[in-house]
Amino acid sequence: MFDLVTWPRNPWSIFDELESLQDDMNRLFTGQEVGGRGQRGAAWRRRRPSYPLMNVWSAEDGIVIDAELPGVDPKDVDISVLGDQLTLRGKVNPVQVAEGETYHRRERPAGEFARTLQLPFRAAADAVKANYKNGVLRLTVPRSEEEKPKRIQIEA
Amino acid sequence: MTEQNVQKKEQEAVQKTATTQRETVYVPDVDISENSECIRLVADMPGVEQGSVDVSVENNVMTVEGTARFDPPEGYELVGQEYGVGKYRRDFTLSDEVDTDGIKARIRHGVLEVTLPKRDEVKTKKIEIEA
Repeated sequence: MFDLVTWPRNPWSIFDELESLQDDMNRLFTGQEVGGRGQRGAAWRRRRPSYPLMNVWSAEDGIVIDAELPGVDPKDVDISVLGDQLTLRGKVNPVQVAEGETYHRRERPAGEFARTLQLPFRAAADAVKANYKNGVLRLTVPRSEEEKPKRIQIEA
Repeated sequence: MTEQNVQKKEQEAVQKTATTQRETVYVPDVDISENSECIRLVADMPGVEQGSVDVSVENNVMTVEGTARFDPPEGYELVGQEYGVGKYRRDFTLSDEVDTDGIKARIRHGVLEVTLPKRDEVKTKKIEIEA
């Protein structure tokens, strides 16, 4: 598995280290990435995970990324691919308080986001497909032609 | 109007996830706002489509439920998972001021929006000061 998420770590905090060790152990036993909904480890609470949360699938000729982006206007999301780096940028839930309106609870994330993924290959930038449905953005990122594994026939 | 007046707190006993059922149930993040006419509840439920969301009221408890369809791409292998896909559920206690017959809900882009109108008796009335 490639390292999809890199957490900014505070080198001076021993607790940070201990908590991320705890998260690593949890991940080892449950096989699930810490940081996802329902899998929030101790370290997650101290350092917020990246936004948006993603699930990633891989195959020989590329990867598929699902990103949870509820309520986002697809026009407000900017997807760029440069070599083996994929960046998602955009804004969610711009705060608009109408006159006479009071907020009692505000849990949904709001603001601007940017997240860069290090892909395990160079992507065929022109062939990346994006599809937004029910609040989930699905990116299909094919591997560039020259990096695809080649089968070599053994001559008799 | 204060939050106590509204009595619209969610059941604190419900944690971020509940696993009393066979599948994991996620508690959606919500925004709750209010104006003189109605209370508006907005819940993030990514992956949930129109037909698989349900809003019901029983004994002054409103339950919002939805099921996100897990749709893995064919021929691919899962290599990284940061979020789970499954059922969302959250209960809200309503105060008497809500007109439960007038509750409206719609879902768009994975965001559920519920409008709870106030009963006429409790709507804030503006009193004109006579000159």
